[in-house]
Amino acid sequence: MKKSISQNARLGIFVIAGTVFLVVLLYMIGAKRSLFSSTFRISAQFYNVNGLMEGNNVRFSGINVGIVEQVEINTDSTIKVTMLIEDKVKQYVKKSAVASVGTDGLMGNKLVNINSVKNGSIAHVEDGDILNTLKPIETDEMLRTLNTTNDNIKFITGDLKKITQKINSSNTLWSLLMDTVIADNLKQAIVNIKVTGSRTAIITGDLQEITKGFKNSKSLVATLFTDTMLSSELENTILKLNVSSDKIAYVSGDLSTLTSKMKSGEGTIGMLVTDSVFANDLRSTLKNLDKGTKGFDDNMEALKHNFLLRNYFKKQAKKAKN
Amino acid sequence: MINKPALIRFLEEAGDITRFTLRFFRELFHGRFEFNELLRQSFFIGYKSLGLVGLTAFIMGLVITIQSRPTLVEFGAEAWLPKMVSISLIREIVPVITALICAGKIGSGIGAELGSMRVTEQIDAMEVSGTNPMKYLVVTRVVAAVLTIPLLALLADAIALYGGYLGCNIHGAVSWRLFWNQVFETNTYSDVIPAITKTFFFGFAVGIIGCYKGYNSRKGTEGVGRSANQAVVIASLLIFILDLIAVQIADVLGLT
Repeated sequence: MKKSISQNARLGIFVIAGTVFLVVLLYMIGAKRSLFSSTFRISAQFYNVNGLMEGNNVRFSGINVGIVEQVEINTDSTIKVTMLIEDKVKQYVKKSAVASVGTDGLMGNKLVNINSVKNGSIAHVEDGDILNTLKPIETDEMLRTLNTTNDNIKFITGDLKKITQKINSSNTLWSLLMDTVIADNLKQAIVNIKVTGSRTAIITGDLQEITKGFKNSKSLVATLFTDTMLSSELENTILKLNVSSDKIAYVSGDLSTLTSKMKSGEGTIGMLVTDSVFANDLRSTLKNLDKGTKGFDDNMEALKHNFLLRNYFKKQAKKAKN
Repeated sequence: MINKPALIRFLEEAGDITRFTLRFFRELFHGRFEFNELLRQSFFIGYKSLGLVGLTAFIMGLVITIQSRPTLVEFGAEAWLPKMVSISLIREIVPVITALICAGKIGSGIGAELGSMRVTEQIDAMEVSGTNPMKYLVVTRVVAAVLTIPLLALLADAIALYGGYLGCNIHGAVSWRLFWNQVFETNTYSDVIPAITKTFFFGFAVGIIGCYKGYNSRKGTEGVGRSANQAVVIASLLIFILDLIAVQIADVLGLT
């Protein structure tokens, strides 16, 4: 009998262990399906649910928060999806949240994504609310678009093929491409351009400094560049200069005629300048005149000492003294 | 009897088993129930098999995980390892393996025990002494098998999943919490309930075939061996047939 009791105890442990595991298993699975926590219902209307089924997960910003309770056809263009959401996320889901049908991974189960929108309403969702929806990305549509893209690519590659063929058959282009000298020259040219560019940069820098100096200083050049009054005066001056230079040209023209005439010996001055015989004559005349004047001086001395004229000369001397 | 065609013998056998089963149900619902004997049998069938079933389940969990890994890695779906392993273990491998182990251990045990009682005329002696051998020997054993094999399968599930967890961590790194999260995430009631339900039928098959073969044992000690052997063979076969039927029913009911 003792043996039987210990056997029964061990049997009891066995049975309890098995039952506990069953209960835990069922509870954990149920908890994952949101069957035991308090929930609320919201719904959304889709145009196409892409194979969404009852029991699929509902995610709020990527976290599982509930399951799809019911998928039913509402009208010919709307499918109503009722979702069972855990109460604890109620405070985070706003009325303006957007629901969309998505896929878990690339080939996984369908699911409903609920996402908040920026600057949406502040009010929380309530039991029975209908959320806005986004049109799901359809594989068919994607494939259709891809098909068009493929067609375009086909044309483009065809054209590219023709172009490459033409390039291949063109000797000029190949020789151009294969010519190393051109490449070297080009390289050199680019180096030069680079040098020029750097120099230009320096020059422009200098110029900038200079213009800055102009703007700030009151030097003549700056005034020249900046003073508008001065410029008009300068203009006048230049005009006058122009006129006077014209006149100078005229005068110099006359002068040149005169000098040419003088050179050719025309007129008195011309003769004076050019006739050497007349100059000798004039020199001898002046000598004679010198002699004549000396004789006249002696005559005058003699006259002073003449009694007839002596008084006259004395009166003259007195007058000069006074 | 030996000269009869195989088909006739098969049909006769099927008819006999059916009649035996009906008699079992008649005895089950009528009259007194041998409760203490049921506890004793549950102890032997259930508790005593736990070590064997647990070891098998642990190894199966570990092996299935290690075997599945390369294929999943090829698809880049290594993260699915706990999910896939837990689904295959809970839905199919653990119930069937448990039932087969039990068919080998319990089915042959019952067959040999009842067979030896039959050939040593103990069963006849019981009938003479007024004890209903069907009630005392057959009903208790079959009910014990029906009740304990599902429990064994459940515990085997737990042990096999632990084996799977270790298997995941041989090459990869899956935390304890992540593993169980994925297991409970993936498995639904439609995975667990049909799997557990079918183990009741497996248990019934093991118990009833063992009892039938032992109860109808013939020809001395040689017959005892035959009974034990046939009990295991037929019970194992029946487990697979039941599994086939179970999966069809589950499919029709949409429990996939």
